[in-house]
Amino acid sequence: MNDSKLITRLKKIVGRDYVVHKPDGLIVFEYDGSVDRSMPAAVVLPASTSEVSQVVATARELDVPIVARGAGTGLSGGAVPTQGSLVLSMTRMNRILEVDPENHIAVVEPGVVNLDLSAAVAEHDLYYAPDPSSQQACTIGGNVAENSGGPHCLAYGVTTNHVLGVEVVLADGSVVWLGGRTSETSGLDIRGVVIGSEGTLAVVTKVVVRLLRRPEAVKTLLAVYASLDEASAAVSDVIGSGIIPAAMEMMDDLAIAAAEPAVHAGYPDGAGAVLLVEVDGLTESVEEESELIEAVMARHSPMEVRVARDADERARLWAGRKGALGALGRLAPNYYLIDGTIPRTRLVEVMAKIKDLSAESGFPIANVLHAGDGNLHPSILFDERKPGETERVLELGGRILKLCVDVGGVLSGEHGIGIEKREYMPYMFNERDLSAMKRLKDAFDTRDALNPGKIFPQGVDESQYAQSGSVSKAGPGAHA
Amino acid sequence: MSNDTYAIDGLTPNTVATPTSVEGLSEALATSARDGLAVSPAGGRTRTAIGMPPARYDVALDTTGLDNIVAHNAGDLTATVQAGVTIATLQAKLQEHGQFLAMDTPLPDRATIGGVLAVGASGPLRWQGWGVRELVIGMTVVAPDGVTTKSGGHVVKNVSGYDMSRLHIGALGTLGVIAEVSLKLTPLPTGQATITASFRSAADAFSAGMAIFHGRTSPLALTWFSPVAAQKLGRTRKGSHHLAVRLAGRPRTLARMVDDVTASCNEFGPVDTGRVDGAEHEALWRGVADFGWDEATRPAASLRLSLPPAAAGEVLASLESAAATRGLMPAIIAHMAAGTVLVNLFSLDDSGLAAGKLDGVVADTRKLARQRRGTAVLEQAPVEAKRRLGVWDGGGEATAIMRRLKAQYDPGNVLNPGRYLDGI
Repeated sequence: MNDSKLITRLKKIVGRDYVVHKPDGLIVFEYDGSVDRSMPAAVVLPASTSEVSQVVATARELDVPIVARGAGTGLSGGAVPTQGSLVLSMTRMNRILEVDPENHIAVVEPGVVNLDLSAAVAEHDLYYAPDPSSQQACTIGGNVAENSGGPHCLAYGVTTNHVLGVEVVLADGSVVWLGGRTSETSGLDIRGVVIGSEGTLAVVTKVVVRLLRRPEAVKTLLAVYASLDEASAAVSDVIGSGIIPAAMEMMDDLAIAAAEPAVHAGYPDGAGAVLLVEVDGLTESVEEESELIEAVMARHSPMEVRVARDADERARLWAGRKGALGALGRLAPNYYLIDGTIPRTRLVEVMAKIKDLSAESGFPIANVLHAGDGNLHPSILFDERKPGETERVLELGGRILKLCVDVGGVLSGEHGIGIEKREYMPYMFNERDLSAMKRLKDAFDTRDALNPGKIFPQGVDESQYAQSGSVSKAGPGAHA
Repeated sequence: MSNDTYAIDGLTPNTVATPTSVEGLSEALATSARDGLAVSPAGGRTRTAIGMPPARYDVALDTTGLDNIVAHNAGDLTATVQAGVTIATLQAKLQEHGQFLAMDTPLPDRATIGGVLAVGASGPLRWQGWGVRELVIGMTVVAPDGVTTKSGGHVVKNVSGYDMSRLHIGALGTLGVIAEVSLKLTPLPTGQATITASFRSAADAFSAGMAIFHGRTSPLALTWFSPVAAQKLGRTRKGSHHLAVRLAGRPRTLARMVDDVTASCNEFGPVDTGRVDGAEHEALWRGVADFGWDEATRPAASLRLSLPPAAAGEVLASLESAAATRGLMPAIIAHMAAGTVLVNLFSLDDSGLAAGKLDGVVADTRKLARQRRGTAVLEQAPVEAKRRLGVWDGGGEATAIMRRLKAQYDPGNVLNPGRYLDGI
C-alpha cells in the first residue's frame, strides 16, 4: 500500500487541513471508550456525503479498510481502527439539516451530538428519546451503529425504534437511502439491519429521526433497601402492577459506597440497594403511576422512600446513579465495565452469582443496572499496575457474560460486540447462526473493507487482546 | 383441505406440506428446495392477495401446524411462539396474565404471527407509535436448504450481532421461512375508551386528528374515515367524515385524555361527538382492523400508502376525487399518527374493475404518494391488474441490495419466486 498516494488523494477530496497522518495526531484515534488500541493508517474528516463517498471509493481502490467514528465513546472497541484502517471521523458532519415539527421528525448528519438534537428541537416541545449515558458527547451516527439505548429506553425503546431512515455510503462508494420519512416503506427493511451493525455494513451519512412530544410531567422516586433481593422484588412488582416506567435503575452496596462520599446523596447506613424509578407523561398518569409505585416500594420493607417534588430534587435523586461509575475511582484505580442483559425475573439469582464470582476471584464488583429491562453493568474493580490483574479481570468478565447467556440473556444490552466480545459470540450463536450473519455482511461488503475484525469471532487466542474491553481509568466522565 | 385452498392468484400448488415442528418444517423445505420446487409459505392465508403473482408455485408450506406457544415469561413481558400460532390464540393466552401483544391485525382468528410478520404491515393499534417490526426481539428462521438459524434473544435490550429478524419482517417469506419468534409484550391498559367525532369535511376531520397528534395525549389509535368507509363500518352518525381515537389509561388519566381529545375535536366544529366503551369499542376497532380483508368489506382493489403524517391530509381529498371521477367508489381509512392511508376501491356497478378505471386511479395515487416522499403498494387487485401495474412501489436505491440479499439467502430462487419487488 502506498501511504503517500492515499494521503495525497484524501487531501484532494477533503482539503489538506482535514487529513491527519502524522503519528502525534493519530494517537487520539487509536482507541475509543475501551482501551483496545490500534494505529490507523490516517484519519480523514469529511464534511459531506459526497466527500464520504469519494473517500470510501478511494480507499477501496487502494485496498485500505475503513472505520467510521463518531465521538469515540463506544465501550466495546467498535471504533478502534484494526488492520491499519483509515478512520473516517464524522464529527464535522454535525448539522441538523431539518426539523419538521409537523411530522415530528428531524433530519440530521451523523456527527450531531445526541443531547444537542434534543436541545435543538426543544423549542417545538419535542425531544429525541434514546438517551445513552454518554449523551453529552456521543453522536447520533454512533448511536445508529450501536443501536444505543439508555436509562429511558425501558418505556421508549432503543435507537432503531426512533430512526425512520438513513442515507448511507456503501462499500463501493455509492450513496443510497434506506427507509425514509415514513413509518413503512416498500421492500425489505434494510434500515433495520444497518442499525446496530456497528459500522460493518455501511457508513451512515444522514439520519431521519422520529421525535416525541416532551412529557408534561415527570416524577422520580427512590427507595433504599437493605439488600438487592428486596429491590429486585420491587422491580418485578412494579412491572407486575402493569406499569412500564420511563426508567428503573438500581445500584448495589458497593456502588452506593462509592457514590455516597462523592455526591452526598444521604443514603442511610447499611443501604444494600438503591432503586430509582421515573415515570413521565400526562400529569394524571404520573400521579396515578407514582402513587402505585410508592405503594409497591413500601411493600418490600424499604429503609427509606423519597419522592422528588421538583426538578432540583429529581436531579439530586439521579445524582447518585449518574455519579456512581465516576466515583468508583474512590475504591480502585481501574474498573472493567461489563454490559449484559438477562431476563428481568432472573435478577436476584444472577446478582447472587455475580457476588459469588466476586468472592471467588477476590475482585470487588460494583453494580449499577438498568433493572427494568434486565441490562446489567457489573464493574470489576482492580489495579492494572499489578501484573496479571487485567488478564484475570477480563477472564472474569467473560465468565459473567457466560452467566448472562446461560440464564437466557445476551452478551450485550447496549455497548455492542465490537472487538471486546467477538470471541464470546459462540456463547449465543452456533456456526450456522453466525454464517447467516456473515452472509448479510457479504451482501454489503464482500471485501470486508468496512470496520473489519468486529462482531465476528476471529478464532484468535484471547491473550492477544489482553487490553480488550472497556477497562477504564476510574474517574469523572465515566458512564454507562 | 384441497390444494385449491392454497391457490395464489389462480395458481394451485401440486403439493401441500403441513409440518408440525420446526424440524419438520426444515425437512419439508429442504426436500422441496433440493428438487428445485418453488415453495410458498402459508399461515392463516388471510392476506395472500399481497404480492405479485408467483412466477412458479409447486409447494404450499402450511405453517399452521407449528402452533405451540413455547414460553410466556409474564414477569419479563416476553413470549416465544411458533410461527403458526394465531394472533387470537396468543392474545387470549396473554390476556389471562393481563398482557397483550401491541398489534392489531386483520382476521386474528386465522392470521398467524408468522404470516403477520412476513407481511409486516401494522394495523390501527400502535403502542408508543411502534409498528409490528418493533415488537420482535428474536427470531428463528429456516433457510431453503433446511438450515435453521436464530438471531436476537429473549430479552428486550440486545445488541449482540446483527438484527437478522428485520430482514424477514415484511419480506413476504422470500428470504427464509419464519419458524419461531420472541416478542415484546405490553401490560393491558387498565381502562380503554374511544372518542368518535364526525365533521362536515375531510379537512376538518383531518385537522382535528392532527391537533390530537400534536397534543400530549398519545392514543393507541387515531383513525380517520371517509364517508364510504364510515358507512361500511356502520358509523352512520351525522356528518360525513369521521374520526375515532382509541385511548387507554388508568381512570384519572383516561378521563383527562377523553377531555383533551374531545376539546381538540370541538375546535374544528364537529357535527357530532361521542364516547364508545366496552363491547362497542372493541367491535369498532375489530371492524377497522379487518376492513378490506373480511368478506363484507373486501374491495375490488386496494392501495396502502405510507406518508409523513401531515402529508396524508393533503392527499385525502385528491385520492377521493381521483377514484370518484373514474367511476370507482373509494373507502379511505387513515391511521394518522403512522401516516398510513388505506384506499379501498369498490366498483359502483356490476361492470367490475375496467382496466381504464383502475389504472388511472393507481397512477394518480402513486404520483400523490411520491410527491410527498411516501410509497403506495397495490395490496389487492385482479391478477391482470397486478401484472400490468406492479404491486410494489419500488425499493428505490436500495433495490440492488435487496437483490444481493436474495442471492445470499435464497440462491436457488425457490421461496415465493417473483412475488416480491423487482422480480425477487
